[in-house]
Amino acid sequence: MSLRLNEDQTAALQELANIGMGQAGNSIARIWKEFVHLSIPKINMVESTRIPELIHGYVGDTEVSASRQAFHGGFRGEVLVIVTSNDRNGLAHLMGYEGSLDIAEREEVLLDIVNILGGACVGGIAQQVGAEIGFSAPSLIGEHLNPLEVIKPNQLAIETALSLEVRFIVENRSLSAHLVILLPNNEVKALADLLDQFLCTL
Amino acid sequence: MTVSVLIVDDSPIARKMLRKALPADWDISIQEAGDGVQAIDIYRQGGVELMFLDLTMPNIDGYGVLEVLQAEGLNCIVIVVSADVQPQARERVLAMGAIAFIPKPVNPEGLQEVLKQYGILV
Repeated sequence: MSLRLNEDQTAALQELANIGMGQAGNSIARIWKEFVHLSIPKINMVESTRIPELIHGYVGDTEVSASRQAFHGGFRGEVLVIVTSNDRNGLAHLMGYEGSLDIAEREEVLLDIVNILGGACVGGIAQQVGAEIGFSAPSLIGEHLNPLEVIKPNQLAIETALSLEVRFIVENRSLSAHLVILLPNNEVKALADLLDQFLCTL
Repeated sequence: MTVSVLIVDDSPIARKMLRKALPADWDISIQEAGDGVQAIDIYRQGGVELMFLDLTMPNIDGYGVLEVLQAEGLNCIVIVVSADVQPQARERVLAMGAIAFIPKPVNPEGLQEVLKQYGILV
């Protein structure tokens, strides 16, 4: 049985994520030297068994690349960043990589992205609820993956996934990245408590 | 004299955060709008003197609201309050008639400074 955030906690998390993603958008805009249109972040909590269909719902029938990064401290979990394969090539060029990329360079791009997006989003949320948080080194899940196979729920020791959908759109290119935050049940409770404390200050 | 303020943001939490950042002893009446469509409706009813406007919203976003306000004579002061802190976003809204851009999360001291700078708060 997964724990869920209540309506107020979800609304608070959505706004705090929005602030974090605004910072991420600014970081990316500085790297890309282009104006980035940000979408409104959408938050859903789903049971971990539904993660594959959630990711498929985000991207449709297309290949994806994905990377992950664990975080620990005031609340603990893992952030996944999923980008579509074509978008990842676009992102690579925008991040200053020229010509055809070798495997190591492609991996570097995907790790840069999880660092920027995961750090801004989870780090931003933590900062605003007054929690200290640290990040482990990011790692690559893979490239050219079927979206249904990015994560195998039976290999996860978690019950709940907090999905955060946000799109970064750059002028004529439509580049999208999706974040999914994985939280064990007891960490959902820790996050809920921190959000309640934040809500009490309003 | 009571100042009529409209807070426009799709997030109820952001609206609360902004209310909390406003000076406690400021004589104001506050209305709220949850998107650009509601904001324009309330603006057209007249009487809004100061609008705090978010940019990233459903239906009509903050840029869309500024376009409508400009087309209709811009009869109120607009301060944009946004998480989108790109310099281009600031430049764009200032060119569209907003007097100031305040990044989220709103810093109460920074907000008061802006209000005083423009003579809105004395």
